[in-house]
Amino acid sequence: MTPCPVALSRDLPPGGVKRVFARGRELALWRGASGQVAAWDNRCPHRGMRLSHGFVRGDRLACLYHGWQYGTDGTCAHIPAHPELCPPATIRATGCDAAEAGGVIWVAPEGYAAPPELPRGLVALRSLTFRCDAARLARICGLEAAPVLYLPDHPSLVILPNPLPGGQVEAHVLTAPLPAADRVAAVHLTEALRRAAEAEETA
Amino acid sequence: MSRDHAVNDWYPVADTVRPGARATRLLDTDLQVAWDGAAAAVTDAAGTAHPVQIRYGHVWTCLGAAPRALFEISEAEEPGRRLVPCGRVRVRCSPLRAVENFLDIAHFPFVHKGILGAEPQTEVFPYAVKIREEVDEVWATQVRFHQPQAAKSAGGATEIRYEYRVPHPMAAVLYKTCPPRPEAWDVIAIFVQPVSETECIAWPWMALYDDESSHAEMVQFQQEIFVQDRSILENQLPVRLPLDPRMEIPTRADLTSIAYRRWLKRRGATYGAMTEAQ
Amino acid sequence: MTFTLYNDVLDAECYKVRLLAALLGLSPRIAAVEAHPGAGHRAADFLALNPAGTLPVAAAGDLVLSGAPAILVWMAAAHDVTDRWYPRDPGPMAQVQAWLETASALAATAGALRREALLEHPAPSGAAQSAEALLRRMELHLLLQGMGGRGWLVGTHPTVADIACFADVALAPDAGIALDPYPALHAWTLRLRALPDFLEMPGIAPLHALVDPLTGHR
Repeated sequence: MTPCPVALSRDLPPGGVKRVFARGRELALWRGASGQVAAWDNRCPHRGMRLSHGFVRGDRLACLYHGWQYGTDGTCAHIPAHPELCPPATIRATGCDAAEAGGVIWVAPEGYAAPPELPRGLVALRSLTFRCDAARLARICGLEAAPVLYLPDHPSLVILPNPLPGGQVEAHVLTAPLPAADRVAAVHLTEALRRAAEAEETA
Repeated sequence: MSRDHAVNDWYPVADTVRPGARATRLLDTDLQVAWDGAAAAVTDAAGTAHPVQIRYGHVWTCLGAAPRALFEISEAEEPGRRLVPCGRVRVRCSPLRAVENFLDIAHFPFVHKGILGAEPQTEVFPYAVKIREEVDEVWATQVRFHQPQAAKSAGGATEIRYEYRVPHPMAAVLYKTCPPRPEAWDVIAIFVQPVSETECIAWPWMALYDDESSHAEMVQFQQEIFVQDRSILENQLPVRLPLDPRMEIPTRADLTSIAYRRWLKRRGATYGAMTEAQ
Repeated sequence: MTFTLYNDVLDAECYKVRLLAALLGLSPRIAAVEAHPGAGHRAADFLALNPAGTLPVAAAGDLVLSGAPAILVWMAAAHDVTDRWYPRDPGPMAQVQAWLETASALAATAGALRREALLEHPAPSGAAQSAEALLRRMELHLLLQGMGGRGWLVGTHPTVADIACFADVALAPDAGIALDPYPALHAWTLRLRALPDFLEMPGIAPLHALVDPLTGHR
């Protein structure tokens, strides 16, 4: 299966952490100071706290509850309650493959898979969530559901849909390089698409 | 899990600060609670009246046919203590997770930063935990922690000593160094009303020696602490407390929680818990 | 000049005042009002100060102000010598006013949902949909601001508008409203939390990432 587009790279700067979903699996997505991205199941093995509420120090993600720190390979590196202790290697966050391509972060919940080929030179515009499913999002764009939506009426726009729990879908929107005014117009176009999709939903 | 064990315990369903009526829920049962300033009545949707007692600033009720005795907090009767009901806070979490968090000190530097703890003083020193068989309660003693501002009356940073006591699956009592009176303990309790297995209402209550702070200051100090915890409690997965030791990884700092979970399991107090890895 | 702030620690409106005071380096005297469970804001002495019975109230000598928007504007106008927190140019000043109104709408929706989630005070029906519409509007505005090189609601420096809107946005998760769908809004809350002398409140954790674990300081 193709991996899931879960975020735009620019929305996860070094030191960032956020919650994402990949085919129903809830993950904490984070980026260490040196730039590497990781996607872990969203619970600290210690007391089940969502790691997406945690904080990044250097190349470690720390849980907000007790400050347990995990390195990029998932192993627990520090337990503040026992500062002298070297945590056993069995304490580790579990995760799935995460990769960046084309300004997008892709997560493969079932094991490694290559992201779809995208045209070169696309630029991130925005991510937004639709209160409708992926099929309706595609239909409002005049398309069948697909991992990549090339908008027939707006050739400079590409939408990467990622289904969310609860029948919603997030759309990661990329564009060809555009002048500033056209980028603003493209943002308003995404708003109009959402209004249309959600109006159809309530109709 | 079953509420068979839970129905025979007493739970808080209102405070006695102001007269009034409230509709609430206890162990998945809808209740009407009325408190007129002198007496209280608790009835369910079928009109059945449930027994009531007024203790520790709260109205308590029991839904079962064979109520266990409500635990004693002898400090509540001591002259000179100020008794402080702190209101209620609703939390979407297991009632047992709320109690377990109350027993935890390792989170102080991260969740209560600048008040009950602060980096770099994060170490949890060894302490003693046992189940006191004669009273069937969990006790943790010789607990100590460095705190920037342990109480409203504390003024500055101190090393604080603690004892924790779990006399009831959904209530815990903390005895803590009393800054103005080194020979006495301040008492802080959390009484948890289980709305369902995954939702609860916490009713913090205190019995303090403090001649300086206003009543409002003491209440708000405790409310600030508890609502900081609430953000954690609503984000623990699974929502119900896992009693299977393979589900979560404790360390030496978690001895109280380990004993609490074991004690719950052995008495069959599994409402709000999950007993097997799922 | 100092002032007395009549304060409830769990109240988002009071937090707006405490937060701006901290960012401006002011230390108001805090007078705790026990709104729960005691209804101290309905007591005769408090009603004599503010007959509306609402928090916060700021008292500076004979001047008694109630409501976060008025107190924020007064604090910035009286204490910020740079004029950045409350701009005096007509355009930005009016934009700040518009966002103060949005902040009040957030308080009436997202804020009401939080009070319901915590304290069981019923929120108006439709509050969740209205809150979502406001958050989407803010997300769009901050996205466009960012594309224009501006990181704040009005211009390139935070204003009282940011403070007024921040509280109910950052506390929305307490009401069960996730901020995941709003990347620009989330980035804006992080910028605000990273300001020097930022003050947290229950529900808004400090940015531990900025603390040096060896010293405990930022």
